[in-house]
Amino acid sequence: MTEDKFEEFLKTKAQSYNAPPVRVPRDEMWSAIQAKRLAGPRVIYGGGSVASTPARFGTKVWLGAAAAAMLLVATGVGIGRWTASPTVSQVATAISTQPVVVEPDATAPNSNTDGVVAPAPNAANPAAGGTQASNGRSGVSASQRGLTSPARVLTGSPTSVATARQPATNPSSAYQLTAVQHLSEAEALLTSFRTRSTADQQMDAQLGAWARQLLSNTRLLLDSPVANDPQRRPLLEDLELVLVQIVQLSPGSTPQDREMIEKTLQQDHVMTRLRTAIPAGGQRGS
Amino acid sequence: MAAYESQSSVNDIHLITRVVAGDAAAERELYDTYVDRIYRLAFRLAGDDELARDFTQATFIRAFEKIGSFRGESSLSTWLHSIGVSVALNGLRKTKRQRNREAPMEEGLTVGSTNVQAEPDLKERLARAIDSLADKYRMVFVMHDVEGYTHEEISGTLNIPIGTSKSHLFQARSKLRVMLADFAPEWVS
Repeated sequence: MTEDKFEEFLKTKAQSYNAPPVRVPRDEMWSAIQAKRLAGPRVIYGGGSVASTPARFGTKVWLGAAAAAMLLVATGVGIGRWTASPTVSQVATAISTQPVVVEPDATAPNSNTDGVVAPAPNAANPAAGGTQASNGRSGVSASQRGLTSPARVLTGSPTSVATARQPATNPSSAYQLTAVQHLSEAEALLTSFRTRSTADQQMDAQLGAWARQLLSNTRLLLDSPVANDPQRRPLLEDLELVLVQIVQLSPGSTPQDREMIEKTLQQDHVMTRLRTAIPAGGQRGS
Repeated sequence: MAAYESQSSVNDIHLITRVVAGDAAAERELYDTYVDRIYRLAFRLAGDDELARDFTQATFIRAFEKIGSFRGESSLSTWLHSIGVSVALNGLRKTKRQRNREAPMEEGLTVGSTNVQAEPDLKERLARAIDSLADKYRMVFVMHDVEGYTHEEISGTLNIPIGTSKSHLFQARSKLRVMLADFAPEWVS
């Protein structure tokens, strides 16, 4: 009862709160809108409009950094894939104590020329021999016994058992370098995102563009041996989620959208994990 | 008002199509249709004509820039109000920061001298109480209790669930009730 009375009282009395004028200055505002649109300035809330505002970093710097990061990651991934391609020396050093049973492959050779343990010739395929390396996306059907990725597998006859060293948790140094570089960039972006002014639309747009670049790189890395690392993969996946949220943050987004990103960052300890994943010094910056 | 706001009407879609096509008359028509409500809300939130004008202008400038990306998932009114609220909140935060930087000395002089009993004016006290609410509560309170928006409209505009809108309104009223306890006889009677 009292509650209802209070609500009624509040609704009545609150009508005086910041009561707008009866006459809305339509024409004046319309003229100002047209003038601003013709002049093309950016609107600064509460302070009229100005042609431009000083940004902490210029647009060219942001875009340049993003382009450089993209190029670096693409180069790194390319080098990584190239160095991860099958070579005789890699196969020779691929001997491990962990056997991997592989699927039968009628066309695959069953011997090799560089001392790699090869299975006995198959009666159905007596000429089979040699080695074949793959990046682990096919051909493995047996238990990998703890391998996070069957990066190189020797294939042979149905009974063949090949041995391979797992490169899964030890991707090439090019991949590592690229990954660390990428994570450093991501940390820089997220730090900028958290410290920026919420009213700075231009900064939002720049961060969005930067995040889009990093998102592409993150997905490239998720598809590379770097993601075989059991600690790095979840970090990259969480990073991907945050970057998607930042990319989707439109200039008209609500504070709740930003809060959601902040919440994701905090709940998943993304920043802490990023900083842990980046070695101190050396790799920072682009 | 609710019926007016509810759905993206055929007229709205037609209007948007014309605006996107560059029809200047359609732009003015859209502006005339919605400017009063946008301005009123901006004024309620800002309490200042200059700021309200700035927010309203920025809202329409941005709306015209982005109208091509409007997909009709909400009504045009809700979409415009979302932009308006976002513009106003960001603008108010910015001006608040500026004012805080500009007038720390003045505030320092008045600290300790404020006396609730010395402010008998309910209108003034109520305004201060509303101003002191957190943005999320103040926004919902102003939209619902002052400007008469429905929870559905608030939900669409602020991009929050209807339940959250109701909860925020309840919180706002509860806080105001505590802050205005001195005036209890006025509403009890």
